Amino acid sequence: MKRWWSCYVTATRFALIEQARNRLALIILLFFIPVWTLLAYRLTASTPVPFFVRPAGQSLMVPANTLSQITGALQAIALIVGFMMFVATARSASFDRRLVQAGYPWLFLALAKVTSLVVIAAAVAGYTTAWMQLYWRPQQLVLLAASMFLGALIYGGIGIMLAAVLRTELAGMFLLIMISFIDVGVQNPIATPVAANPVLRGLPAYGAMQSAATSVELHLVPWSYLALGLCWAVATAAIGITAFMLRTRSRRTNTSIDLAGATAADDAVGGAVLAARRSSDH
Amino acid sequence: MEGSLDNGANGAVLRVRDVRKSYRRRQVLRGVTLDLVPGQLVGIVGENGAGKSTLLRILVGDLTLDSGDVECRGVLGYCPQETVLHDAFTVEQHLRFFQVAYGLDSLHRAFELLEILRCADYRQARLGTLSGGTRQKLNLTLALMHDPQVLLLDEPYQGFDWETYLRFWELAATLRDQGCSILVVSHLAYDSARLDCLYRLDAGTLTAAERVTAAKGKDAP
Repeated sequence: MKRWWSCYVTATRFALIEQARNRLALIILLFFIPVWTLLAYRLTASTPVPFFVRPAGQSLMVPANTLSQITGALQAIALIVGFMMFVATARSASFDRRLVQAGYPWLFLALAKVTSLVVIAAAVAGYTTAWMQLYWRPQQLVLLAASMFLGALIYGGIGIMLAAVLRTELAGMFLLIMISFIDVGVQNPIATPVAANPVLRGLPAYGAMQSAATSVELHLVPWSYLALGLCWAVATAAIGITAFMLRTRSRRTNTSIDLAGATAADDAVGGAVLAARRSSDH
Repeated sequence: MEGSLDNGANGAVLRVRDVRKSYRRRQVLRGVTLDLVPGQLVGIVGENGAGKSTLLRILVGDLTLDSGDVECRGVLGYCPQETVLHDAFTVEQHLRFFQVAYGLDSLHRAFELLEILRCADYRQARLGTLSGGTRQKLNLTLALMHDPQVLLLDEPYQGFDWETYLRFWELAATLRDQGCSILVVSHLAYDSARLDCLYRLDAGTLTAAERVTAAKGKDAP
């Protein structure tokens, strides 16, 4: 139990240090969010536009600049958190594999990634919501923050997932931009008149967007849409973590006697014994 | 001809039997057999692409083999050819991370190794600021810090200056004398007289090779 806790705490600490060292992402976060939320709000007319809030089952008239800021903030969060998680997962892939070979339980490395994602998502969502509420006051500030948090979680999960299949940061960033562009872009009723189309329910950020729109003028808590967003976040992170497990797993097919009395995991290089056998019928 | 070097030693800590590996149609290993006994320093040389790293990666479980048998008994240490480190962390943070991985109570041995390899001054330095040689020293330290009984080193002295190169061999000899079994893989046979056995991996087969002594300054790594 003590070793498990030590593994989790150490891995989480280093996962957060790793994120803190991603200076580019932090600078983008600090400066891009305020500028973008300001521009999206100020450069769009405040004319009310119809937006179909599905949790309420009705179309509401929402100021265009508010909707523009919500979609802009969601997209910015998606790109920043997705990029941070993609870079962290991709850059540490070989190192994580070596750690697992040395005896580090992969589960705790994976849990540390998830923990760092939750911490980053919470911090980014809080920071973004703080800037947004300078321009307008939602009926439910906590719900707005929760919606941003979900958007960050979902795209952080997508970042982890993409890191499992893509090799370069450029490819990862490009795909993140394209996915978020389609996902959030088509939900904005100002940009696309199809924003009320039920087909949009299948998009990753749909639950987050609907929850954020609900927070503007309603007192309703859209639990099912929050849950939908959470499902997307869990699913994308789970796919990414599964890929991480497959990448870091040992190729050994059998183990034999441990003569060393190793303290590390049995499945490890440090764990003393390896035996790989294959039938010679190839 | 197939490589089939079996020194017949009982109590081998590393037993490799008829290991074969292909990448699609290209056969890289064609039946490699090898024994490593406690307190033995063995070298494998071969040209680039001969399959040396493939063999080592199979031995540590990084790659699957097509057929054959690998058995290792004892705590294993592995130093990969490419420095597998993290640029975001300092030298000491690497050691702390691997301390938990190996389940070590202290970093005393790790710090001692840094002293031996003359890079103790870089403990607080971030990896991104270090030279290739210093990174390689840390790469090697991570493989040694848990006092392994079987040590697999893939081009371990890449980027070392002459002094560090000599210190590496002194360290290897000390470990060997303490009973550690060491397998060093390199593309050239520098100072092969320091080894107990030297094998050549050629066309996927392992054969015994002649050991030679390198002159100082002539065969820098």
